[in-house]
Amino acid sequence: MKVGLLHSLIRKEEKLLLEEFQVRGVDLTMIDDRNLIFDLESAPDVDVILERSINHSRSMYGLRLLEAAGIHCINAAEVAKICGDKILTSVALKEADVRQPPVRIAFTEESALKAIEELGYPVVLKPAVGSWGRLLSKVNDRESAEAILEHKALLGSYHHSIFYIQKFVEKKGRDIRSFVVGDKCIAAIYRSSEHWITNTARGAVASGCEVDSKIAEISLAAADAVGGGVLAVDLFETSEGLYVNEVNYTMEFRNSIQTTGVNIPAHVVDFVLSQQP
Amino acid sequence: MTECPICGAEIAFAQGTVVGELLECADCGSELEVTGLDPAAVTEAPETEEDWGE
Repeated sequence: MKVGLLHSLIRKEEKLLLEEFQVRGVDLTMIDDRNLIFDLESAPDVDVILERSINHSRSMYGLRLLEAAGIHCINAAEVAKICGDKILTSVALKEADVRQPPVRIAFTEESALKAIEELGYPVVLKPAVGSWGRLLSKVNDRESAEAILEHKALLGSYHHSIFYIQKFVEKKGRDIRSFVVGDKCIAAIYRSSEHWITNTARGAVASGCEVDSKIAEISLAAADAVGGGVLAVDLFETSEGLYVNEVNYTMEFRNSIQTTGVNIPAHVVDFVLSQQP
Repeated sequence: MTECPICGAEIAFAQGTVVGELLECADCGSELEVTGLDPAAVTEAPETEEDWGE
């Protein structure tokens, strides 16, 4: 089977994946998204592509174009589209009856303010498309809401005038990230921070988390809801059980291998090689 | 061997380095991208874009 790696920058994760492919004797075709030109007909000479681009927009369109050319992609273009957009993710989770924090979506400052007041403070405003905890705003009161909504509306891009509002979940300084590969939840970590944002990209510290049946069940359900594949699921622990916060489709795992003792890139590579050409 | 485009420090590639790989200059801490192996070449890594992430 001919395997391609769709990438741009080669980060620690891609390097670890390359090493696992090398160990298995796979002659990988490197496909740098910065050099790609699509003509809607020709395609790289590979049977399957593992997507590891750093840009969501390039991933989403690149995967769709590659699929149109007949190449099996991990993850699928539809998975990238859903996971890259918090609104589409929330819809997919809702349709699959997977628990998530209460959310509201609004299209104007006025309706967003009304939605925030209905949800009750505090809430978190998130860009529908975004990652690494960027441009998240915790809104504690009406004055903050009015100011932040005005700023977002004036940012210039229409994306910021689509308001995704999530009820703030008191998570006691940590959340859980679980890793799903195919039909298995292979590992999980706690991400702890004194800050309310617990992304490791923002300095949260990773520690081991045992994958119990509850974590496995909701992680697999969330992965299935967005289309399945190789996914990282962010979970909140609440008094009502686990909630799914996000599902990530180009998952980062550099801080989770030693922490969990699980060779995550090896699982990913074995999953890719298990696909039928 | 090449040099950091920011501070001029010598940059040596570890075995197994690949084109596109991110490196950090040991002297100035700048993030660099490997753009060539033979001859060795690096450039300043691109700035984070709005849709970068997971």
